[in-house]
Amino acid sequence: MKLKEKKFSLDKLIRMGRGRETVAIYSLLIALIVVSSLISPDFRTPRNGVNILRQAVLLGIVSIGQTLVILTGGLDLSVGSIISLGACLASGIMLGRAELILPVVLLVLMVGTVIGMGNGLIVTRLKVPPFIATLGMMSIVQGSLLLYTKRAIGWVPTTFLFFADGQIGPVPFPVLFYVLLFLTFFVFLKKTTFGRYIYATGGGEEIARLSGIRTRFVVFITYALSGFLAALSGLFLASRLAMGDPLGGQGYELNSIATVLVGGTSLAGGRGGLMGTLAGVLIMTVVGNILNLMGVPGFWQWIVKGLIIIGAVSVYRRID
Amino acid sequence: MQALQNVSFQCKKGEVKALVGENGAGKSTLMKILAGVYQPDEGEIILRREKVQFDNPHDAQKCGISIIYQERSLLPYLGVAENMFLGREPRKRLGFIDSFTLYREAQKLLDKLKIEIDLTTPVYNLSLAQQQMIEIAKALSLNAELMIMDEPSAALTTQELDRLFQIIHSLKDHGVTVIYISHRIQEIFHIADAVTVLKDGKVVSTSSVEEINEEILIRQMVGRDMEGRFPSKSEVEKKKGLSVVGLSCQEVLHDINLEVRKGEIVGLAGLVGSGRTELARAIFGVRCPDKGAIHLNGRKIKVKSPRDAINNGIGLVTEDRKKEGLVLGLSVKKNITLPSLDRLSKMGLVSEKGEKRRVKKIIQELDIRTPSMDRQVEYLSGGNQQKVSLAKWLVTESNVIIFDEPTRGIDVGAKFEIYNLILDLARRGKAILMISSELPEILGMSDRIVVMREGKIVGELLSEDATEEKIMSLATGLIKNS
Repeated sequence: MKLKEKKFSLDKLIRMGRGRETVAIYSLLIALIVVSSLISPDFRTPRNGVNILRQAVLLGIVSIGQTLVILTGGLDLSVGSIISLGACLASGIMLGRAELILPVVLLVLMVGTVIGMGNGLIVTRLKVPPFIATLGMMSIVQGSLLLYTKRAIGWVPTTFLFFADGQIGPVPFPVLFYVLLFLTFFVFLKKTTFGRYIYATGGGEEIARLSGIRTRFVVFITYALSGFLAALSGLFLASRLAMGDPLGGQGYELNSIATVLVGGTSLAGGRGGLMGTLAGVLIMTVVGNILNLMGVPGFWQWIVKGLIIIGAVSVYRRID
Repeated sequence: MQALQNVSFQCKKGEVKALVGENGAGKSTLMKILAGVYQPDEGEIILRREKVQFDNPHDAQKCGISIIYQERSLLPYLGVAENMFLGREPRKRLGFIDSFTLYREAQKLLDKLKIEIDLTTPVYNLSLAQQQMIEIAKALSLNAELMIMDEPSAALTTQELDRLFQIIHSLKDHGVTVIYISHRIQEIFHIADAVTVLKDGKVVSTSSVEEINEEILIRQMVGRDMEGRFPSKSEVEKKKGLSVVGLSCQEVLHDINLEVRKGEIVGLAGLVGSGRTELARAIFGVRCPDKGAIHLNGRKIKVKSPRDAINNGIGLVTEDRKKEGLVLGLSVKKNITLPSLDRLSKMGLVSEKGEKRRVKKIIQELDIRTPSMDRQVEYLSGGNQQKVSLAKWLVTESNVIIFDEPTRGIDVGAKFEIYNLILDLARRGKAILMISSELPEILGMSDRIVVMREGKIVGELLSEDATEEKIMSLATGLIKNS
């Protein structure tokens, strides 16, 4: 009986596709949390736990979109500039007026989606490689934004602060929001035909096309979603800072890619998923948090994160 | 299975020796052994009365053996001269390239072979024939004394072929021995001094071209016994299925008319490059034809993409499973339902129960051997992978199924299973178009055999009348029609 159970769980792991990677990355996360708790009394307080989750939300939202794009075999370098643009548009137009929250939120999400659709068209129709297409888009968006404002701009109404700082009972609103968002995309990727087509397109575009899948449409949609989610992150940033910073999103393009890769998704596409990305987000945030608590200077965090990226991906190559 | 058995093969210095045989006869294997790519299990190579051993292509090259492959191996963005001396450029002091010597030496080689090409031209600007000439010149610069040409004529026009023959003649004048592999029988009588026929990894005969003719050569290439290797066929009433009318596609397909009735297996024969795969891809909507129409059940259909073809009930089991057939990293289940997922879902959500039920049934039906339907297909054997490719179209309920080399890379036992499945599909009223380079397979399976050459259909044979000789004659262009 016992043997049978063991067999069953192994089978289940294989069924999860990249089971071993998921086990590896969550082991690393748990190890990281245990070690941090042991060396820092401040780390193991409930307040810090909540804090970490709160901090993880922004990176978490962008990384969902980045995961979708990378699964199709692409990548999106424009997300950082879209975050900055979203934050500046939001605070710059709202200027503290609560009645403008809804229209401005819709506007920002639309602008992000349209930029993402632009990426999608450039990649699928003009056949520009994703790296170059989104690099160009990053430059265009960032340049336009700096024409609009060179310094922090506007302020958001107090109601809008609820997005980043609100509390529902003991649970921070952003954490709850993120859980729902994550579950939505998790189901989207695992249970819908479209999710299946994302994996098939990344696993072999020609094969997917010969199976009747409109692969260009699939790729287009993932970029649109990535743009949408980046704009959403921009709104979150505006809510957290209460204003818009034209360079606030800088760095999230590479951080989100690194996070997705640490989570075990293959840069070649077709393999990986959101469970891994979630672990990646938490690892990156926990590392930042513990080093902060220990008073390690910021640049050291870069070095440690760099080592984690290289280490994690080299381990995946080995298990494969 | 052994690719070669007890093969003896000799060449005299300065002779052009032709090597002929069907696909899979062992020609390429033999040549790769001579060029040091493969090592033989038994036997020896004797060069200029001395026993030699080649552990790698470099060893063979040092002994003056060069091979000109079918695939071109020049760097497209480098010039002609740079390509010829790649990796062994003449140098000045401090490691700088001595361009003067480089160009002078390259020009000497081209002059020797009377080739007129500007040395500075980047290779991507050259025609395939010109690239081939450059490769020959390059081989000559390696002091090649034995040059092996693997189907050098496959991509050449008639004029280009004349040019190649001139070059081969000048090679002979310089004392170079040439081994010339070809499918085209006629060429051999133009260029070769002697010819060796290989079949099933054995030498059938070696003769000088004066003592042999084309008919004998073809008979030697194909004649064999093939009873009992295929399941028996049954007769079914045959209604209209797929018909292709006047289909043309750029330079590859010319005015193709073809009919495959329901319950019928039509074999599509022809040499590699004759346009068979292109025809399959045109019917399946991968490439758009310039002219012509496709009819299904007597009704004209529009096929502009594989999606259209699939929606009309056409399926394609591709030749290259790894590049075009299966997503290796996905599970058996997900591969099987890829083209039919829309049907197995409601509102975009996959109905997992329905999907599993369907996949379970098809796995039993085709006897796909896999530990679980969630196993990634890359871990399955070639035969089982091929069954998964086929299962995709059965779940989609395709009525027309095109097979492109259905048994390539599959072991003998699995082959018989695949044959049985194909026949069973025909019995169930599916229209089947089967491309194959294995003549016994075409003869054993088809109700009718259509032969292609140079993008045209050159003949049609009923299975009762067909013989390997007749097919080969049509495919090589020895007989104009049947």
